[in-house]
Amino acid sequence: MIDQNGTTNLSRRGFMKTAAGVATLATVPTLSSRAYAAGGDKIRVGVIGCGGRGTHDSSRCLAADDNVELVAMGDIFPEQVERCRKTLAQRAPGKVKVTDEMCFSGWDAYKQVLATDIDMVILTTPPHFRPLMLKAAIEAGKHVFMEKPVAVDPVGVRSVIASSELADQKGLTIVAGTQMRRISHLVEAVKRVRDGALGEILGGQCFRLGGGMTGWGPQQRQAEWSDMEWQLRRWLFLTWLSGDFIVEMHVHNLDVMNWAIGSHPVQCVGMGGRQQRTDPKFGDVYDHFAVEYEYPNGVRVSYKGAQQDGIAEPHYQRVVGTKGSAELNFGRAVIKGANAAEIGWNEHDPCLTQHADQMAAIREGKRLNEGRQIAESSLTAIMGRMSAYTGRALKWSWAMKASKLDLTPPAYKFGDLAMPPVAIPGRTRLT
Amino acid sequence: MHSDSDVSRRAFIKTSAISAVGLGAAARAHAAGSDTIRVGLIGCGGRGAGAVTQVLQCSDRPVKLWAMGDLFEDQLDKCYRMLSQGAAGRYDRDAFESLSPKMDVPKSRRFVGFDAYQGVIDSGVDVVLLTTPPHFRPAHFQAAVQAGKHVFMEKPVAVDPVGIRMVLAAGEAARRKGLTVVAGTQRRHQNHYIDIMKRVRDGAIGEIRAGQCYWNMGFAWDPFKVPQSPDMSDMEWQCRNWFYMTWLSGDHICEQHVHNLDVINWGIGAPPRQVVGMGGRQARTGPAYGNVFDHFACEFEYPGGVRVASMCKQMPGSAYHVCERLVGTEGQSYTDQAVGFIKDQRGNTIYKYEGPNENPYYQEHRVLLESVRQGGAVNEAQNVAESTMCAIIGRMSAYTGRALKWDWAMKASKLDLRPEQYAFGDLPLDPVAVPGKTSLI
Repeated sequence: MIDQNGTTNLSRRGFMKTAAGVATLATVPTLSSRAYAAGGDKIRVGVIGCGGRGTHDSSRCLAADDNVELVAMGDIFPEQVERCRKTLAQRAPGKVKVTDEMCFSGWDAYKQVLATDIDMVILTTPPHFRPLMLKAAIEAGKHVFMEKPVAVDPVGVRSVIASSELADQKGLTIVAGTQMRRISHLVEAVKRVRDGALGEILGGQCFRLGGGMTGWGPQQRQAEWSDMEWQLRRWLFLTWLSGDFIVEMHVHNLDVMNWAIGSHPVQCVGMGGRQQRTDPKFGDVYDHFAVEYEYPNGVRVSYKGAQQDGIAEPHYQRVVGTKGSAELNFGRAVIKGANAAEIGWNEHDPCLTQHADQMAAIREGKRLNEGRQIAESSLTAIMGRMSAYTGRALKWSWAMKASKLDLTPPAYKFGDLAMPPVAIPGRTRLT
Repeated sequence: MHSDSDVSRRAFIKTSAISAVGLGAAARAHAAGSDTIRVGLIGCGGRGAGAVTQVLQCSDRPVKLWAMGDLFEDQLDKCYRMLSQGAAGRYDRDAFESLSPKMDVPKSRRFVGFDAYQGVIDSGVDVVLLTTPPHFRPAHFQAAVQAGKHVFMEKPVAVDPVGIRMVLAAGEAARRKGLTVVAGTQRRHQNHYIDIMKRVRDGAIGEIRAGQCYWNMGFAWDPFKVPQSPDMSDMEWQCRNWFYMTWLSGDHICEQHVHNLDVINWGIGAPPRQVVGMGGRQARTGPAYGNVFDHFACEFEYPGGVRVASMCKQMPGSAYHVCERLVGTEGQSYTDQAVGFIKDQRGNTIYKYEGPNENPYYQEHRVLLESVRQGGAVNEAQNVAESTMCAIIGRMSAYTGRALKWDWAMKASKLDLRPEQYAFGDLPLDPVAVPGKTSLI
């Protein structure tokens, strides 16, 4: 046991290195059997990005394991850190050990959190920052739980893949917040699909039409807020920050399609626009997208997503094969045709499972790295958005290897930052 | 022969029809094959000029343009001049020499205004070509059938469910009367489409499980060529820019994409049961573009849970993609304007149509004239009405954000885009639709 409160970063690192070496010698199970072979050591967690999702993920992480504690927190805005700390202290009493000195804010808060002696970090800022922070976290030797999506542009996707490869080299785990992958009925249904319950897969649909989210975030800009602050506080509606809703939210649904089909798409053609959510306070994001994704072997998936109030709200993932079809939904999975089955929700919270899986892997020194998988699902969504914004058809290989799209602003600082124009297909350039 | 008076001509037709009844069909005027067929053109724009050159040139049998009608005199004159002088080709029309030898359209049989169609119908023609903007089709078709005329009508054939019901009723009346009705869904008369669709229907791709169809393109037509001058009424400006007014064109999903939806209906053999659509205008946003959208994406669900994804857009610079695909348990069919083929599960092309491919615009008019002469009573009204209805419900779903059932739209929708009156004057345009706000009617 180690009393982390009393150790310096250096000494803790020294311990981990030693422990890893011992574990390797003792059991030789894998390269990376690390500090937790005994299963009793506390896992010390930091969170970067203390908004609603950061709060939720932290609380799930703390609930998923008896021997875990939150010790460091960072956010660009100090009041978010404070609110999150208070909430978590209520939700996970005894597990929130975040002193004032371990609360960081500002642009460099992530560096400060990563400089502490945490073992694992939860990355829950707006998606724009994920590639940067993942890279820093892996370089700092931290295990990473990161929320989806993990990038907003192909440059970011490539960075995430590179960091994931580095994580493997360093024996670090990466889990992504695509919790659909851990819903038991989906795990079972996808297994059946992959084992041929539908015969050969012919196509699919991925629908998520729903409300406009217009009440989200501060509605009024305060006088002292710079452009940058206004955009950060409204990040959901800024493509450079959120990736647009196809990326920010619907990556979940597209991830299920990639999972069930067993591949990312090879090309796509999309369309979209903003027809209802047109007020300037909704930044530059669209309110509807329709993208056709073509997977290997001519399998075509029709994706439709919308965030508009008062519309029909179909929400499902469906795969069609030669022998039947499968609906792979949050509440249940239904397979029709030759291998008909209905698999229901077992009431287990997949957000707990994902953290439990990760902490078990950390303790057992097992490889668990979802970095590439979530990077690919993020790129699936990103290329759909790029196609819709520009009106152009896109190939995966081009987006993955050649696209230079990089939505990073000129500087990360509070100050002037022009609101980006809403994309116009045919005029917005493909980069 | 066409010097006969109308009365004697009608008598001839009637006699022929009666004598043909003995042959077992509702054969009509032209069973003998010797009489000249008189054609009336209603709608003298680009498509009208194309259709009339095609009907006049598609066969060696005697055909004459007998009457012309349009809302605008200048448009009618321009069309008359073009037909007399010849013109260059375009996407739906070959270049042609003067057609004067096949024209007999004195001023007295050139009709202008909102009632022009009735003048043409009543002028002693056997066949009318209905090529006005789609809005007017139901009324014109109804009047033509009522007057006992054979009909060629361009797609789409309506812009709203009320119009669809009129077309279906008139189509039924045409069937009872043994009249020929050919629609301008020319893919139905294109060899490679006929061949591939027959194979699909015969099971070449197994059971159909899915499909896709698209009309994604760039530039459509320039609305700025007819700016609204201060003395031009709303009605005139809208009619001259009909393409951009939903009440006139049905929007481009209806006006253009109906072709692809028609092929899907043809391959599957039934209309869809329901639709969820979305769309908007993101590139064509100024007032010159009326109130149409510039993109639509719809999912049509057919019997047996078969889902077809449809996409159409008209956005400058957009990727061009116009085709149809049906996905079955044993393969996929692919069709576009140039080719048709069938692939197996592994993506190998197992069949490709290599036969002759006649110009489908000529073929459809040959079918029309043959049916008129032989009393074949070809009647495509229901097919084209159903395909048009697909497009209409797709648009209605996209405009309102609501999911729609075919049966509801067919039986209960009260959407009727007709203006209060057909007169040149003020006519406020409906605002551009906003999903979730525009109400479903």
